[in-house]
Amino acid sequence: MALSRRSFLKGILGSGGAAMVGPSLLAPLSAKAAEETWKISGSHWGAFRARIAGGTVVELKPYEFDQTPTEMLEGIKGIIYSSSRIRYPMVRYEWYKNRGKANPSTRGDNRFIRVTWDQALDLFYQELERVQTTYGPWALHAGQTGWRQTGQMHSCNNHMQRAVGMHGNYIRKVGDYSTGAGQTIMPYVTGSTEVYAQGTSWPLILENSKVIVLWATDLAKNLQVGWNCETHESFDYLKQLQAKVADGNIRVISIDPVKSKTQHLLNCEQQYVHPQTDVAMMLAMAHTLYSEELHDQDFLDTYTLGFEDFIPYVMGEGEDKIAKTPEWAAQICGVDAERIKELARLMAAERTQLIFGWGLQRQQHGEQPYWMGAILAAMLGQIGLPGGGVSYAHHYSSIGVPASGASAPGAFPLNPDRPEDRVHQNSDYQGYSSTIPVARWVDAILEPGKKIQYNGTTSTLPDIKMMVFSGNNPWHHHQDRNRMKRAFEKLETVVAIDFAWTATCRHADIVLPACTQFERNDIDVYGSYCVRGVIAMQKLVDPLYQSRTDFEIMTELCRRFDKHKQYTRGMDEMEWVASLYQECREANKDRYVMPEFKQFWQDGIVLFDGMNNYVHHAAFREDPEINPLGTPSGFIEIFSRKIASFGYDDCKGHPTWMEKAERSHGGPGSDKHPLWLQSCHPDYRLHSQMCESKPMRERYAVQGREPIYMSPQDAKQYGISDGDLVRVFNDRGQLLAGAVVSDNYPQGVVRIHEGAWYGPEDEKMGALDTYGDPNTVTLDLGSSKLAQATSANTCLVSIEKFQGTAPEVTAFGGPSEVAPT
Amino acid sequence: MLSKLKALWRTMTRPAKHISLGVLTLGGFLAGVIFWGGFNTALEASNTEEFCIGCHEMRDNVYVELQQTVHWSNHSGVRATCPDCHVPHNWTDKIARKMQASKELWGTIFGTIDTREKFLAKRLELATHEWDRLSANGSLECKNCHEYASMDWDAMSEVARTQMEQAAERDQSCIDCHKGIAHELPESMAAASGALAGLQRQATSRFNPGQQYFSIRQLPLFTDSALSQEAGILNSGSVITVVAQQGDALQVEIDGWRKTKGFGRVINEEFGQNIREVTLEKEVATDDSMIQGFEVQEDPLTGLPWQRVSFQLWMGKDDLVDDREILWQEASELYVKNCSTCHSQPEEAHFDTNTWPGMWAGMLSFVNLDGDTQELVLKYLQKHSSDYSDGHH
Repeated sequence: MALSRRSFLKGILGSGGAAMVGPSLLAPLSAKAAEETWKISGSHWGAFRARIAGGTVVELKPYEFDQTPTEMLEGIKGIIYSSSRIRYPMVRYEWYKNRGKANPSTRGDNRFIRVTWDQALDLFYQELERVQTTYGPWALHAGQTGWRQTGQMHSCNNHMQRAVGMHGNYIRKVGDYSTGAGQTIMPYVTGSTEVYAQGTSWPLILENSKVIVLWATDLAKNLQVGWNCETHESFDYLKQLQAKVADGNIRVISIDPVKSKTQHLLNCEQQYVHPQTDVAMMLAMAHTLYSEELHDQDFLDTYTLGFEDFIPYVMGEGEDKIAKTPEWAAQICGVDAERIKELARLMAAERTQLIFGWGLQRQQHGEQPYWMGAILAAMLGQIGLPGGGVSYAHHYSSIGVPASGASAPGAFPLNPDRPEDRVHQNSDYQGYSSTIPVARWVDAILEPGKKIQYNGTTSTLPDIKMMVFSGNNPWHHHQDRNRMKRAFEKLETVVAIDFAWTATCRHADIVLPACTQFERNDIDVYGSYCVRGVIAMQKLVDPLYQSRTDFEIMTELCRRFDKHKQYTRGMDEMEWVASLYQECREANKDRYVMPEFKQFWQDGIVLFDGMNNYVHHAAFREDPEINPLGTPSGFIEIFSRKIASFGYDDCKGHPTWMEKAERSHGGPGSDKHPLWLQSCHPDYRLHSQMCESKPMRERYAVQGREPIYMSPQDAKQYGISDGDLVRVFNDRGQLLAGAVVSDNYPQGVVRIHEGAWYGPEDEKMGALDTYGDPNTVTLDLGSSKLAQATSANTCLVSIEKFQGTAPEVTAFGGPSEVAPT
Repeated sequence: MLSKLKALWRTMTRPAKHISLGVLTLGGFLAGVIFWGGFNTALEASNTEEFCIGCHEMRDNVYVELQQTVHWSNHSGVRATCPDCHVPHNWTDKIARKMQASKELWGTIFGTIDTREKFLAKRLELATHEWDRLSANGSLECKNCHEYASMDWDAMSEVARTQMEQAAERDQSCIDCHKGIAHELPESMAAASGALAGLQRQATSRFNPGQQYFSIRQLPLFTDSALSQEAGILNSGSVITVVAQQGDALQVEIDGWRKTKGFGRVINEEFGQNIREVTLEKEVATDDSMIQGFEVQEDPLTGLPWQRVSFQLWMGKDDLVDDREILWQEASELYVKNCSTCHSQPEEAHFDTNTWPGMWAGMLSFVNLDGDTQELVLKYLQKHSSDYSDGHH
């Protein structure tokens, strides 16, 4: 180790305002001091107007249409002017010096040197070329993509994959971390991913439902953000629901271990259930419905297949000979047997809308609660009726808001225009799978060549040597940091393109500074599913420091293999934005009048007033033969012969209660680590986006750390007070978090929101995470052989009050800059 | 006179183009107050059929065409005249429309459409104005008489009902589908919308008995050569074999498989694969004299029995190609473009034939494809799924 040659220039850590902004920004400030303008733009957090003065964003206010703006809008300035911004292209010091011979254990030591754009892009290109020629497309994984910044033209996934794809082929993923189990199981059951399908419109639910069951879904928390620019119209309906709950018109029951934000908003009932035991509870409800003949046999006969193959399992005539009685379930799920019966009777007596969240399927056997939920709904016989049936996505991106029916703008093309545009035509994956289940790439690095069962096929995990990430932070979304660390030591080259120093950048070799979405011109749909309009994303300020748009970065990469003209199609940023708008205008011409582009750009937004109500599965209910579901049979499949034919022990032909690898409240492993760690979507961020925004973080952090929420009983038992630092640990890792003691949490349940930035004390295996990323301790295990999805919510931990001097938070502020030698 | 007309023309057209509806409304309101007496009378006078056909452009072109349609003559004796469809019933909109109409007045004074040829040349532009207006107001004037809520679905044929219910669900503007319902269509208008219009240029016009052809979009099937008795819908991308030709009609043979649960209305291309070929009317599907049934086999993955069938029906000659690859190429491009907006599109062979409909249905909310195109792309994906691919994946 060349410690003696190390010369730190400066740490950029913990800098104050002036140092943060930096000279490059201060210089033009005086010249532009007099100018002041308002611009409009959009984001995952909604639309807003921004006041620009002296070349700086000084104020944001919500766009007037938005009646329920999220307070996260106030975190946006903190994204633009954050100490974590990547200022210039950088290369990891050890890798820069030794490349292939670099000491693998130095990865993550956070020591980088500054290079020029040309040097960085040359290195990027050389590495792509080396990997394609030395190995082949099986060694390059550029398929891991995520939530990117908004904007259809600059969508970074599309830019990176088009550019890398013009050089050669690479490994891709299927599925995603949010809905992996749900989107795989549901096509077999109701013939749709469900998680990304439009749901019954809120006005119809409000008008027709008498009972709404919110099964592990926190609408008010998650509807703050959207895949595109969010309109927050769903909140209007939540407010109406609140009034109906108050008047006694609709009964809402939140089935959740935790008292959710939505429960507080609606002031509705809660039904506690032990974590990970929902399937047992649902089976017992099915038992009650069947025993008391409350199920709709006509519906089952007409619209479903396989009920007769399933019900013996419920009634104790199946293989296991166990009747799934409410008494049986009560022992597992902690809900009183009488209460289970009462809930089943209530749901059968009234028009009942079941609404599931996504957290439930982010656990081991996460396929089962979704499948079982559909069976409950089928037994109730209300699928396809307004205000009845089952939904899996009313918490997501304006689903359930009556849609305009307008077309949304397309995007910058993700694929090369023609296959012959590829420099390296090699598509020989040497027997490896070219597409792998999204959450199994760390397995691939650790065990290349391993064959895994997946959704009826066999995946052969590729021997990945190089990875490219753009606007994507797997060092937040993947599970088990120390396992990832072992895997990353095996990678030869990692490229990260981002605007901020995420932990993914810290563990990369080449880091390229993209600008934020607020530093470029773009266009987006306003409301992903309701398509309320099209919004101009007007550039607020020029790219800060040496950052560039993804479009520029990838154009310059393509120039290195002479594909830049094909890449851009000869168009610049504004020409692309205008062409996306024109295509959208053309697509809408029979429905909505949209102004010419110039006028649109000046106005900043065009709104569509259509409000079309929709009833999920209504067409199927009306005529199941002409409008069959997308299942193998066309009917709701209570028993799936197809899944049964795969012969999986962890996902059988019908929903099954299965014990988990670890489970709290008396389940496996709870004697050693007694607390269930819930790592659901955050309330004050979008996944890991905005964690670096200091003004936002200061609203919720405890002693500068991510909060860990816990019950007063657990706090007392472990001698922890509100505001204390807590060490959270299990056999996989350890982290520091700040205690928030709250009545919302039951004994045995703690929560740390996912997306907290990983900031290990040092690069060593097992290092303490100084900020509080829950995935430091989560389990990296496929949900089952069917979906192979993430099981983040199958996780037990121990906690203790942290003793001694707490290490500084290393998650923010970027790397230690080392001078080249 | 001319300069006065020009001045009037300027004042009256400019606001409609550049000033917001609010100002327009206010203008209309003020005009109403000031000219309350005479203005309203003139307005009502101009709202009659006699006024509209007072000039020969209207009388000799669109008025004659209207007389051939159901809106003119029908068994219930209700007639829609010009202002019923073309003048908004609501007062504010009426004023706005009148201001736009002054353009047609301009045309008659200065002779832009004074011959049939000139009118035909200008028809697309004129029709587009009217379609735009109807699109913008959701076909309000149609809906003054026709309401989705009042439609009796059971009285409709299944073909009509399927289409109409989809439209009702989205409260679709009537004019989206019913262009040309009261007047002739502009000559160059393609019948398919959007993405598939390009394919129609490659449609074949020569048919040989015994040869296979493939549908560009969803096409009606009939039991008779006069194409008057609807038998069902041929799906996009489906295969038919021509048996005979008679005038504008083709007699075609269709072979496939259907499930025996239900009426057997859905005909799929192959055993056990949900690749829809035809949706039959119930009367046809259950008529043994029309549908020849063969062996029945149980699909092991669902337990449902499937029956092989063959039948002959009639259809028009439009929108068929003689090479399925033409369709697949277009569908492939549509798939790649539309499904990579948010993520990289899965390989066609990543899913099997019967899994694709579920994945497709689960993502449709995010793509801008009309019904014909959705069906074509889905069929392309199914026919290129893992069941049809031997590539390692």
